Amino acid sequence: MDPGAGARKERQKPREPAARLEKAKQRSAQQELKQRQRAEIYALNRVMTELEQQQFDSFCKQMQASGE
Amino acid sequence: PFFVNRGGLPVDEPTWERMWRHVGRIHPEGDRVAQRIRGAADLPKIPIPSVPVFQPSTPIPERLEAVQRYIRELQYNHTGTQFFEIKKSRPLTGLMDLAKEMTKEALPIKCLEAVILGIYLTNNMTTLDRFPISFKSHFSGNYFRHIVLGVNFGGRYGALGISRREELMYKAPVFRTLSELIFDFEEAYRRCWHTLKKVKLGHCVSHDPHSVEQIEWKRSILDLDKLSREDFRKELERHARDMRLKIGKGTGPPSPTKDRKKDVSSPQRGQASPHRRNSRGDRRPSGEKKPADSKAMPDLNGYQIRV
Repeated sequence: MDPGAGARKERQKPREPAARLEKAKQRSAQQELKQRQRAEIYALNRVMTELEQQQFDSFCKQMQASGE
Repeated sequence: PFFVNRGGLPVDEPTWERMWRHVGRIHPEGDRVAQRIRGAADLPKIPIPSVPVFQPSTPIPERLEAVQRYIRELQYNHTGTQFFEIKKSRPLTGLMDLAKEMTKEALPIKCLEAVILGIYLTNNMTTLDRFPISFKSHFSGNYFRHIVLGVNFGGRYGALGISRREELMYKAPVFRTLSELIFDFEEAYRRCWHTLKKVKLGHCVSHDPHSVEQIEWKRSILDLDKLSREDFRKELERHARDMRLKIGKGTGPPSPTKDRKKDVSSPQRGQASPHRRNSRGDRRPSGEKKPADSKAMPDLNGYQIRV
């Protein structure tokens, strides 16, 4: 057996937990971003829903007025 | 314009920026909306709604109410960007995976997403038939498209869905015929000054969430401009009968019509379908702009009543 192979195997092992840690950090960052985006989306949706409702109500009043 | 997020979640930067640019263009306060919200530290925390779970003894109508409450809690998406991309030709299993993602991510949705979600949330209700109902309506020179999930329980028809307009979504399963349900939608359209132009009825959707079947979205295409009232009703009832008999692809005899899958636009059946205008190129979401006709209604700085 190549005497260097065992040493190489030994060197690879510490990288695996580091890679896993990095992936976990990325997942956590992604999750945080999703949560942040979700909060902003709902805040935006509230504003846009109110706008739609205002416009619809105004339109209905106009239609009723033109009907009279 | 109508934007779709095609890159999954979290939303990628180009799509995110496009969303805010669009809002800045259409809201009277312009970019101030984005300035107030983006990066704000005090945004309300929106809880993720719980997917309804039922006791075996819970009656179906009650379950449907709970499913509709859940859909409503996600809210109608008024942002101008659809967050979940739905390819209608995907196998059911793929669409159900997407529905599961919708429940996990819990974001505002539009009508097509609500139909997929409705299917997902009612798959375990094996005595409930579900079938898509698509509408094409006209208002002030423009055409609008909408879709709900028709349901049939014990011979009573209803619908699940989401819309900007309250009357164009949930219908309790109380309608004795499919015609009554559709006429109710037609009247609801009239009340918001839309003229219903076409109704497309799909076939019953499988309850198997792992099915590789595609949803049949338009088994019957009914053009209201070309059908008398009575023929419209007859065709609706024909479709209802086919669903009851579970007429599927190559299974069992179809209803006695020469060519069922084509447009039914006149009482004379068997002709080619010249009215099938809703081909691939025409499949755009609600609010598509067509050249205005002369019957423009008074509108509020171009406001369109979208559904």
